[in-house]
Amino acid sequence: MFVRDDTIVAISTPPGQGGIGVVRLSGQAAKTIANAVLCLDRDLKPRYATLTQVRDSPGGRPIDQVVATFFPRPNSYTGEDVVELSGHGSPVLLRQIVSATIAAGARLAEPGEFTFRGYLNGQMDLVQAEAVADLVASVTPLQARAAFDQLDGTMTDAIGEIDESVFDLIVRLEASLDFPDEGYHFANQETVISNLQAIATSVKNLLDGAGHGRLIREGSQAVIVGKPNVGKSTLFNQLCGGPRAIVTDVPGTTRDLLTETIDLSGIPVTLVDTAGVRETSDRVEAEGVQRTRGAIDSATTIVLVLDGSKPLELDDRSLLVETQSDRRLIVISKRDLPSEWVPADETEIATSDDVTAVCLLDNKDVAVVREKLSFLVEGNDAKRDVPAVTNLRHIELLRRADSTLEQALKSARAGVTEELLLTELGDARRTFEEISGVRPDDAVLRRIFESFCIGK
Amino acid sequence: MTTTSAFDVIVIGAGHAGVEAAWSAATMGCRVGICTLSADTVAHMPCNPAIGGTAKGHLVREIDALGGLMGLAIDTTGLQFKLLNRSRGPAVWSPRAQADKRVYAARVAELMRQQPNIEWVLGRVGRLLVKGYSVVGVELEDDSGNTGGQELQATTVIVTTGTFLNGLTHVGSEQKAAGRVGEPPSHHLAESLKALGFRWGRLKTGTPPRLDRRSIDFSRFDQSLGDDSPVPFSFMTESLDRPQIVCHSLYTNQRVHDLVRDNIQRSPLYNGQIEGIGPRYCPSLEDKVMRFPDRERHQVLLEPEGVGMDEIYVNGFSMSLPAAIQEDLVHALPGLQDAVVMRSGYAVEYDFVQPTELRRTYESKTIRGLFMAGQINGTSGYEEAAAQGLIAGINAAQQVKEEAPFVLERSDAYIGVLADDLTTRGCLEPYRMFTSRAEYRLLLRIDNADLRLTSKGRDIGLVGDRRWKRFQERQVRFKRNVRAVEETTVSVAEGKRVRASQALSRPDISLETLLEQGELRLESVDGCHAFDLWSVEAEFKYSGYLKRQNANIKQAQKLESLAIPERFVYTGMPGLSREVVERLNETRPETLGQASRIAGVTAAAVAIIAGRLSR
Repeated sequence: MFVRDDTIVAISTPPGQGGIGVVRLSGQAAKTIANAVLCLDRDLKPRYATLTQVRDSPGGRPIDQVVATFFPRPNSYTGEDVVELSGHGSPVLLRQIVSATIAAGARLAEPGEFTFRGYLNGQMDLVQAEAVADLVASVTPLQARAAFDQLDGTMTDAIGEIDESVFDLIVRLEASLDFPDEGYHFANQETVISNLQAIATSVKNLLDGAGHGRLIREGSQAVIVGKPNVGKSTLFNQLCGGPRAIVTDVPGTTRDLLTETIDLSGIPVTLVDTAGVRETSDRVEAEGVQRTRGAIDSATTIVLVLDGSKPLELDDRSLLVETQSDRRLIVISKRDLPSEWVPADETEIATSDDVTAVCLLDNKDVAVVREKLSFLVEGNDAKRDVPAVTNLRHIELLRRADSTLEQALKSARAGVTEELLLTELGDARRTFEEISGVRPDDAVLRRIFESFCIGK
Repeated sequence: MTTTSAFDVIVIGAGHAGVEAAWSAATMGCRVGICTLSADTVAHMPCNPAIGGTAKGHLVREIDALGGLMGLAIDTTGLQFKLLNRSRGPAVWSPRAQADKRVYAARVAELMRQQPNIEWVLGRVGRLLVKGYSVVGVELEDDSGNTGGQELQATTVIVTTGTFLNGLTHVGSEQKAAGRVGEPPSHHLAESLKALGFRWGRLKTGTPPRLDRRSIDFSRFDQSLGDDSPVPFSFMTESLDRPQIVCHSLYTNQRVHDLVRDNIQRSPLYNGQIEGIGPRYCPSLEDKVMRFPDRERHQVLLEPEGVGMDEIYVNGFSMSLPAAIQEDLVHALPGLQDAVVMRSGYAVEYDFVQPTELRRTYESKTIRGLFMAGQINGTSGYEEAAAQGLIAGINAAQQVKEEAPFVLERSDAYIGVLADDLTTRGCLEPYRMFTSRAEYRLLLRIDNADLRLTSKGRDIGLVGDRRWKRFQERQVRFKRNVRAVEETTVSVAEGKRVRASQALSRPDISLETLLEQGELRLESVDGCHAFDLWSVEAEFKYSGYLKRQNANIKQAQKLESLAIPERFVYTGMPGLSREVVERLNETRPETLGQASRIAGVTAAAVAIIAGRLSR
């Protein structure tokens, strides 16, 4: 995969200006390279923040003051020798520092390479490595907490416990096979079945929270639709007036002016405002309508705004029909004006639909909408404390483990002989190993670490 | 100090490893000299008078499939045959047979005499002769047991000295230098090997007392009978219809346990007198009583050592307590109050060479042409020894003929698992084969040993024409039977008709049932009847599992096929911790797959080495 015996360098702080910018070096030549670009009169003392100056090239002129810290292996993020240089957060300066280190023998790191080395050196398992990316990418406090939990080992521990139980069962079954005649019974059918049930339940419990967890990690989308002038923009602005998700520009993606990501009970929800799409000329409108349709198709939740003070028109009805099978919240605006229709009279509105009449300028009403939207977004996943599983890769592997265990349970009940059960249990263990990355699959690793940013 | 003309292979020791080594090398065309102290102790069974058992039976079938001796010998001399683990699936069925020790040994000697390439050298090897980094021969001890005897030249030497290297027996506090009771140990040879720089360890093993058959009233015990239709070990056996003997079983009791506990300080196994590490799986009586205090009783089996022999082997009663205590213990067993102890049980401590010193061909990594096989490598069991001897003999012959080494993979055979486990992990305690050691257990069955291995044996010249013909016929039968199962429809419970292959995939339907119903007919021949059917049954019952195992093997293949060059330097490789480097340098794995199996080598380390190798 990545070449591993050289020393890598990258800017570890995000692009843009700031008070501090950090350049990180990792590898066996980290100290040597640092010495070459710093104005030190003696070697860096381990874990001691040293105020010094950095040059623009080995032996060149000083360009900035930096605080240099040396982390000797293995007690560093990557498990290798690491030197961190904290300088002023000027992109120009930071880039010059990186060039200097490259001239002194370092190589620019690839995305995720620092974390990958940390994983390879056993500083963290794969699950924790992935948590680093999640932590860095988090946009809501709940997301951050979920990621931190994962980094802290909550998921790792949960999987570890389950794996331990599987291993214990395997040992007993093997012993029964190895000593068939000596009257030692280590695992009778009943015990095996009850053990397997307990293990399967543990996995299912993890998966139970996974839906919610995934929502926390990946967020959701809510599209606000309705004909012109029903109050979509007002609703959009009101919802955005609440806690915002802290979204930053990521190079390579375009910022859509009609979207904003909000923090809805910890879940990052991207609101899509289709306001103004109708208010353009015919040619463009056709395009806009197309785009709206597209947004509706891929959205997870629809907020359909209807004007309560005017009778429903064709446009309203066709939107109602179009969104019939979607997960939707119907907001009837302008509650403060006399209503011209009631939901019960309208066939396109089902009794199962969540309908609420609001005055969009009333904060209490908006809070109700916010609450209903939150509930809708989470679907059937009851709110619970931060679940251990948030990551789709983990979810898929856990599902695989779950089906393997169900198969094993079926086999055990059918009275299948031990060596077949053991094959299934072995598969389950291998799946757990895949989750924690004990047995790395090259392609999977590549995919995981390439999604990191450079400098991580 | 006269020399004779050179041998291609000299085998030191005529135990189970030695005889297979000599046999295979000779059959492959080498001139073999086999050195032993006495012609009486060829293929001797110093402990359990039995061949086979869980996983061991698998080894014997594989040895036979390749053309080795063990299967042939036991089939013609076995006293009682049993198929173990019958209640489980075909992958773990394993044959075991009680043997008549003397007749077994005689049969082996007879088979070997039929091989003209084998020459017997009576005497004891005192020194290995090494020039540079290659072995050139051996030097025998002179008549007074000192070095300086006759020199024999050889291209390759296979050391199969079992428990004789600096062997020390213990009965209570009585210690005697011996390889086995009554047989002097090898001291000079041990020193000669040590001087070559190999890493050593010390192990121990034990054996139970022997009782006089005539002093026992067997009617008081439970009977243990052989199988009605015994399954042979050898693919060449056409029938096993000799009458089988009856064995007897009983249980220990509190009195026995108390006696052991009260005298535990006099047991060299427990009072520190013995330094070697013993087998966990073959626990002495002391071990069983002390380590499983909750168990009220342990099974004991009374096994005759041979027809016409008076010695009864007390299986499960291995110990090294003082002779007097042993007698008391025997008499405490219900029904054995008057039994006469013919020979005390004893423990033997011996030197062994860490098998990480060897390649999977059992050739030393440092001395060319020097092979080691058997208990000297830290294994326990006749079958494990025989399997090693076979591979060592084959490879010595290949080296002499300047042909490619012969290595079986973990996915080929238990023989492959054995070689890989030993040379990768070394031994901290005596190694015994278990089915759980084979990750491809479902593929490595006793019924398909020939389908897996006989062609390989033919390729290297170990499988003769008779066996080859018989094998080819079996292959044809197997293919035809598989097709028959796929194409015949049978009726099942609900009156439906399905293909036999589908019916077999149901856990409640066995091949036997289908055959009894009469709609399905398969081919089989005498002696091979059981295997013909089982191979077919397993093919279908296990099919889903087999597919997965085969997929796993393919996956593993990538790592297994990445060879690590001999002089690969681990020291100083960035990313490898000092512990990992130490383990790698100790073992010097030949492939990346082997490296991944060394204890303490992380997946990350494997990835790093892989990265370096691919550049």
